[in-house]
Amino acid sequence: MAAYIIKRLLWLIPVLLVVSVITFILMHNTPGGPWDRNLDARQVDKNTQLLLNEYYGLNKPLWRQYVAYVIGDWDKEGKFVWGLISGNMGPSYRQRGRTVQDILFDPPKNKSAWQSRWGYSARLGLFSLAIAIFVGIPIGIFAALGQNTWRDYLGLFIATSGISVPSFVMGIFLIIIFGSWLGWISIVTKEWDKIGVWIVPALVLGFNTTAYTARLTRSSMLEVMRQDYVRTARAKGLAERVVIFIHMLKNAMIPVVTILGPALAGLVTGSFIIETMFGFPGLGRAYVTAISQRDYSMILGTTIFYAILVALANLSVDLVYAVIDPRIKLHD
Amino acid sequence: MRKLSVLLSLLVLASMVLAACGGGAATEAPAEPAQPQPTAAPAEPEATAAPTEPPVEHGNLRVNLSTFPDIIDPQKSSFVNEIAHLNKIYEGLTKFNAKLETIPGAAESWEFNADGSALTFTLREGLTYSDGSVLNAERFAYSLTRNIDPATAGEYAAITDEIKGAPEWRGCGEDVAVCDAAKAVVVESLKASHADGSACSGYDDTACNTFTVTLSKPAPYYPTVLALWVGYPAKQENIEAGGDTWWLDPELQIGNGPWILSELDQGITGKFVSNPNYWEGEPLYDIEFSYITDGAVQFEAYKNNEFDVILYGGDDVASIEADPELSAQNVVYAGSCTIAIMFHQLKEPFTDKKVREAFAYALDRDGWVKDVDSDTSLPTLTWIPPGYPGYKEGETRYGYDPEKARQALAESSYGSVEALPEIDVTFGDSPRNRVRNEWLAAKWKEVFGEGLKIKINPVEPTTYTALTKDIATSPMVYRLGWCADYPDPQNWLSVYWKTGGFGERIGYSNPEFDALVNAADVELDPAKRADLYAQAQDLLLDDAAVAMMYNTKNTYLVKPWVKGWIPSPQDNSYPGDVEPTSIYIDVASIPQ
Repeated sequence: MAAYIIKRLLWLIPVLLVVSVITFILMHNTPGGPWDRNLDARQVDKNTQLLLNEYYGLNKPLWRQYVAYVIGDWDKEGKFVWGLISGNMGPSYRQRGRTVQDILFDPPKNKSAWQSRWGYSARLGLFSLAIAIFVGIPIGIFAALGQNTWRDYLGLFIATSGISVPSFVMGIFLIIIFGSWLGWISIVTKEWDKIGVWIVPALVLGFNTTAYTARLTRSSMLEVMRQDYVRTARAKGLAERVVIFIHMLKNAMIPVVTILGPALAGLVTGSFIIETMFGFPGLGRAYVTAISQRDYSMILGTTIFYAILVALANLSVDLVYAVIDPRIKLHD
Repeated sequence: MRKLSVLLSLLVLASMVLAACGGGAATEAPAEPAQPQPTAAPAEPEATAAPTEPPVEHGNLRVNLSTFPDIIDPQKSSFVNEIAHLNKIYEGLTKFNAKLETIPGAAESWEFNADGSALTFTLREGLTYSDGSVLNAERFAYSLTRNIDPATAGEYAAITDEIKGAPEWRGCGEDVAVCDAAKAVVVESLKASHADGSACSGYDDTACNTFTVTLSKPAPYYPTVLALWVGYPAKQENIEAGGDTWWLDPELQIGNGPWILSELDQGITGKFVSNPNYWEGEPLYDIEFSYITDGAVQFEAYKNNEFDVILYGGDDVASIEADPELSAQNVVYAGSCTIAIMFHQLKEPFTDKKVREAFAYALDRDGWVKDVDSDTSLPTLTWIPPGYPGYKEGETRYGYDPEKARQALAESSYGSVEALPEIDVTFGDSPRNRVRNEWLAAKWKEVFGEGLKIKINPVEPTTYTALTKDIATSPMVYRLGWCADYPDPQNWLSVYWKTGGFGERIGYSNPEFDALVNAADVELDPAKRADLYAQAQDLLLDDAAVAMMYNTKNTYLVKPWVKGWIPSPQDNSYPGDVEPTSIYIDVASIPQ
């Protein structure tokens, strides 16, 4: 098991290299640069652009910039500055003076790591995943067991609306209902300490995943329901609950677990809509705005980080397979 | 299955617990403000508030600024939301009133020398920072030097290029000797001294109240430029102590402005308390910024009484007009930007002035303002907007006139609409912009007939910006504007339209215009200066280089308990924020 995990982790390195090369080439080939700001603002003058280009190393040849990002390069004073391999994701082009890893992972002064932008996004992602699991799976089971009855149609209705309704529509809907009409939540959250303020954002973020999970659970359960061993179990006289949860669900979970892994990676990094609507201090925004801002370090940093998350998620999923289904062995 | 569910519930439990724990750490006392905060006891009414009313209770103004700033550093900031924070904490040598006149700020008076090449400021007596420490001329010398320093590389560094030695130092390159020599010139140009001219002894010198700025040529608009945030006196020791992220720490953002930054929670909230040491008198309210980007959510929050002021966009106009309560709270007035249709003077067919005139005559500005912008803008035929010095009233050239448009086209070298090459209207792609530009194309077709070959050309927004910056890639027709950096015709005319300025990108260059603005820029007599700029603007309009289209409006919703605000076109975060100390909150009338 340990050898398997280490092998998988080592594979991460070539994957990240390829991802970073592709991202680097794509982003430098896109027209426009970090100093092309929103046209409402005065544009940066030529002299300052030259100074900034020099400071960020944009005046060096592309291959050198790439090597500098990954391994490192000598700076103006002759000191060698390590790059990605030492965890330095580079200076942000937009937030002057801060490095990418500082923006994403460092909490504010005197606060715990869970208060960093990554910490907030991770918590929200986990919360949304929990909703997807504890709401989505039961709905799927409920629907499957009552196939072609009202239970099934209700479950499918929830699933379909969750998949089709965009999250920003869901978000404003919930804000109006719970904020304006019922007054149960305040629309502008100034403190994210209490658990209550997390519920609506997590719902909005997780609804799509919940719907997918419900659908997948339902179809997977339907398949398992018709298997011979289920008939045998019932014939043996086992309680229905035991048949469902011990025999059917365990087998039905494989496809669900398969999607939940990468879904978690997506939930953790995909909180952009939540951040713009609820003022949530996560890192989803960094992914999206970095591209239009041409913040090269941030684009590379967030992409590589997302690649790591997806790879780790897939690894966890493979490990979980082995846990829930003893027939699956982790071979090389 | 059991193991999995146990694992997952533990995970969820853990995240909830950690959320609460994280919360625990966060509830420790926020950074101590430099001065003890005023309690619920009413603050002293200041001279500009209604003098006959009893003392007003201290209020809290909750405003939404769409995005959290990238950096709040006077010499490195450049965006509107960053400046919105800076101008609460700091104050420059001069400032503006609601009529956009330059009035004394930290300096109580200033005067030019005989030929206008040096400007001497006299600071107020007893000027202090919010923490009570001395604020003297040395601080301003440091701040302006820092703005010019190439190591700072601030995005607005060029705005102080009139200071003697500034462009040379900023462009000094790698050579240490050259740079040191250039720096010495700048240091000489930004001289802090005692009233009698003797040198100051440092940041604690209370007699150091004279600040002399030496300019490379006369610049009568310079007191206006020095009101900008690039000259705000942030403390050197704080900047150095905090390093690159000093600005995130409220304890290091000690300023001399009407408010003190008491809390800055990244992406969540920014809180300001009134500064009892502000020379003009402590303001009557605290400020709280939130950073909700989504317009629909901020609108809901405003209706739910969670914001006192919001800046809304065209999408919300219909809802506001349908609601009598919101209509009463609707505050709309002229803003600080002019948008025009740019014609590239070096790209066919706009090389021909008659064609430019034709398209300008064919522009239905009133239709645009009503149909596309839902009255959140104002049609205009001039460059400088109303409310700004140099505004020309009653301009009539190139107003909407379809007959004249067709006639001008007939008189052009093309002769008819069929002879024109295909017109590409380029813009930054967004659903809103597509609608706007389709409207534009359709309207021109309406005037010129179906023979007009016109196409819209959406481009990714940042790519679009990059295209417009260079004369070779600049599109043949596009909508662009200019928003005032400071209220002086020099910023509108000289900075933008002089050869080598921003107008260069569409190939505009008129030596007569250059001569006029060059003369106006150094003219010390205000009447003569105004006249020269007026002539220059007339020349610009005559040339029909671009088709002036509309001015933006400031569109706010303001709760009825926010009182005393005096609107000005240069407001950027809430009405009256150019002269923010006149505002007070009628706390008693806030619903619970």
